Amino acid sequence: MDIEVFPHRVLGADTTEKLLNGIECIGDVKRTVVQGPRLPPEDPNENPRYAERRKITVNGQEIELKVKTGRIFVEVSNESTIDEIRGICNEHLPFGFDINIGKYIKTQKTVSDKIKYGDTDIPDELVGMTDPSARLKDRLTIIKKGKKD
Amino acid sequence: MAQYYPGTSQVAQNRRNFQDPDYKLEKLREISDEDVVKILGHRAPGEEYKSVHPPLDEMDEPDDIVRELVTPIDGAKAGDRIRYIQFTDSMYFAPAHPFLRSRSYLNRFRGVDAGTLSGRQIIEARERDLEKISKELLETEFFDTARSGIRGKTVHGHSLRLDEDGMMFDMLRRQILNKNTGKVESVKDQIGRELDEPVVLGEPLDEETLKAKTTIYRIDGEAYRDDKDAVEVLHKIHVGRSNGGFCPE
Repeated sequence: MDIEVFPHRVLGADTTEKLLNGIECIGDVKRTVVQGPRLPPEDPNENPRYAERRKITVNGQEIELKVKTGRIFVEVSNESTIDEIRGICNEHLPFGFDINIGKYIKTQKTVSDKIKYGDTDIPDELVGMTDPSARLKDRLTIIKKGKKD
Repeated sequence: MAQYYPGTSQVAQNRRNFQDPDYKLEKLREISDEDVVKILGHRAPGEEYKSVHPPLDEMDEPDDIVRELVTPIDGAKAGDRIRYIQFTDSMYFAPAHPFLRSRSYLNRFRGVDAGTLSGRQIIEARERDLEKISKELLETEFFDTARSGIRGKTVHGHSLRLDEDGMMFDMLRRQILNKNTGKVESVKDQIGRELDEPVVLGEPLDEETLKAKTTIYRIDGEAYRDDKDAVEVLHKIHVGRSNGGFCPE
């Protein structure tokens, strides 16, 4: 079962970091996808004061946040986890949010995946974790459970 | 009396105010001429205006009754280049929106060309006239520092949710809310070139003021269908156009 956390404002890096740390602490959460408008690539000429793109730390694992968080998809197995997530969102999203239940992360390989990966067997958990146009290693971070800073 | 817009709602009244050249728009902030030039990015402050033709007085133009009737604007008289300023207005209760901007510009300013798109609106004029117009647009109700953006390019963001701090999404981050002062600063010019010193644009308007000043009908503000007069006029136009377009002979 997937859920979609839809904040009523687009989130910055600090709030995303807090929110993801909260969500990733829950043992039942399997996969998380952060979706939103992309931030421009790092530009060495740009003043770092105005750059939005930065590295965030989730459960001790560094992740480069490449988008401004518009939605967060979370895969969970128990319905009771949704209340836990709602509690975390209440804490960090004072401007309001919606939580929708549905299917947001694809679970089966598509034709695009077939063209991209060929006949190689890729683990089920990696299917749907990135766009067909992007490489997995650019977008995917594996966070070990039970490790917290 | 000119009829600018139908409707009895506050939104309709605001639309009429913007479009009526006799209505004096409220001045909300002070921005110096030099800062306007910096934001526009067409020339360095203090630099001479570049020209595309000699001043009209020195040109030997053919006799023409229209040339005698129409007084040229200052920029045309001097032979300035045509330059532009472009705005993006958020759908979250921005004071103005593209179509209204065009109608208002053409009612209020002479010698301008206005271009309307769904999410952005451009105005072109001779350089020195454009600077005067830009100053007026930035200082008055036309502009809110958080919900309107001065964007020469990379305009995306008008229909996106707002940022956490209430600012409209801008990929190039030209306007930034300074958390210490609570004021919005323009740190880049309209096409995203970094300025030496940020230009302080002022505090964003609060939600209540924006809802009172907006010209956008919204279901969570004033809904269009609740404005019976405006809907009735729209129906009349729709029926008139449909009947007029069917078998016109």
